[in-house]
Amino acid sequence: MSPVEAAAILFGSFMVLIVLRVPVAFALGLACVPLLHLDDKLTPIMLCNEMWKSYNSFILLSVPFFLLAANLMNAAGITERLVALARASVGHFPGGLGHVNVMVSMLFAGVSGSSTAEAAGIGSILIPAMKKQGYDASFSVAITACASVMGVIIPPSILMVVWGGLMSVSISGLFLAGIVPGILIGLFMMATVHVFAKRRNYPVYQRASLVEFLRALRGASLALLTPAIIVGGIVGGLFTATEASLIAVIYSSVLGGIVYRSIGLREFTRVLYESAAFSAVALFCIGTASAFGWLLAYYRVPQELVAFAEGWGTNAITTGFVIAGIFLLVGMFIDAIPAIVVVGTVLMPVAERAGIHPIHFAIIGVVSLAFGLVTPPYGLCLLIAASIGKIKVVEALKDVSFILIPMLLLLSLVIVFPEIVLFLPRTFIPDLR
Amino acid sequence: MLRTVLEWYYRQLRSLIVILLTTMLVVVSMQVFSRFTGFIPRYLWTEEASRFCFVWVIMIGSIIAVRDNTHFNVDILPHPKSKRIEGIYGLMTHSAMLAMAFVFVRYGYEFARFGVKQTSEISQINMLSIYLAFPVTGVSWVLFLFEHLLSDVNLIANQEQGNET
Repeated sequence: MSPVEAAAILFGSFMVLIVLRVPVAFALGLACVPLLHLDDKLTPIMLCNEMWKSYNSFILLSVPFFLLAANLMNAAGITERLVALARASVGHFPGGLGHVNVMVSMLFAGVSGSSTAEAAGIGSILIPAMKKQGYDASFSVAITACASVMGVIIPPSILMVVWGGLMSVSISGLFLAGIVPGILIGLFMMATVHVFAKRRNYPVYQRASLVEFLRALRGASLALLTPAIIVGGIVGGLFTATEASLIAVIYSSVLGGIVYRSIGLREFTRVLYESAAFSAVALFCIGTASAFGWLLAYYRVPQELVAFAEGWGTNAITTGFVIAGIFLLVGMFIDAIPAIVVVGTVLMPVAERAGIHPIHFAIIGVVSLAFGLVTPPYGLCLLIAASIGKIKVVEALKDVSFILIPMLLLLSLVIVFPEIVLFLPRTFIPDLR
Repeated sequence: MLRTVLEWYYRQLRSLIVILLTTMLVVVSMQVFSRFTGFIPRYLWTEEASRFCFVWVIMIGSIIAVRDNTHFNVDILPHPKSKRIEGIYGLMTHSAMLAMAFVFVRYGYEFARFGVKQTSEISQINMLSIYLAFPVTGVSWVLFLFEHLLSDVNLIANQEQGNET
């Protein structure tokens, strides 16, 4: 069977199943079955085998742990402390709570690796507060959803763990690479909030006094240590990503259970269950997506794609934009994790051929897919924020698209100037080429 | 009757996934602390054991998500305007998922049979105990999907009888 025929069968049956509302994970698995039956050299047992191989990974084990740490932080009331700190720092800018929202998302992103935990945790506090102060519900929802994408760009990041584990890219390198683009997204977004606030006359807080600021800083200080421990520990070679995720869990349990005394045993069990159940759904996709990706590789589809890509030249910038475009499109329809497994692995040789550094390629992918978290029809963070704000997703779309413009500009900068991404990893990891 | 049994099974799965995640936390903690402190011996089996718990967490999570209807899907079709259309949509989706469940039962069984003769590299666990996750998941999906399909059929039938419920 030719690569084109195989790809047509795989993607064709996948699309049909998706339209029938079959969950993405099941659609990816079912799409493999016809080829596994038709080809004499293959058997559907390989579906189980590929899934088993992808789950049997010590690196991926950090995904439920990072999610658990984030959920524990929410339950422990750490999010409120970060809000107090952000309010004392940026509350006096025009559109105060909008800036607070963006800054809390940045701080929270350094603590958690998950955008959905961020949208849920921050949204449940700030969206009602913003609506009460007279912000439009659409804007409150849009800014919460868009700011939460920093969760997977600023380290630690579940998407980067999956990417690094799957494509053998240094996870500490990826974490370092995400810092600058993540902070830039925050700054770009604050500028956007400023424009909104001026045009719609949003309220401001009085400037906090130094004493108030210091008090808020002290309240949040223990939480702010988390990124230092996690990222410092991984980059300094003290522990692996999985061990760091465990330390994040222990640290947040100690904060919630002993220092702040805000989590009891019952609450702890509830958070355990929710983290296990939610991460299992996301991870289950990795298995069927791996089988799907394995079949694409078996029929040499990636090689065919590289040959096709020669057509538009091997210019790194053009290739970078094409890659970002594909990830943006795919991210609109499916979850980021299966998109990484299927599309990331297929595009890797294309990026390599164009001379894009593996870390640069990964960040282009992660940032583009992060935007998919706020674009319909499948924008998980937008769905969460809209349900907290009690509005329909459609009502927030206009504000979301306005906030996305500067974010797309940043993505272009990241593509054109690889140094934005590669500067920190090259400084801290000397043997990185 | 069927629903009571399934509800009981569902509760057991919910407890089991919490126990497995806790085990993972304990086992990985032992591994980390044995490396940083001198007084806990260095275990080799911790890495393997945590991976095996992890596989079961994912598979049990996928079963729970079938019952809860929380697997991610994409809404492209127009929103169902009546209960009946909602039932027809459900029937399509759940039948396709049932096909996948049967693939898991049939070939998961074959896959698990490979495990009978294999033991794991480090702790010599019989691999059947892990490979078994595939057929078990398949059978559990079948059970919960039948429950969903029954509700779908009910939705369609009730509408035809003129909105009795």
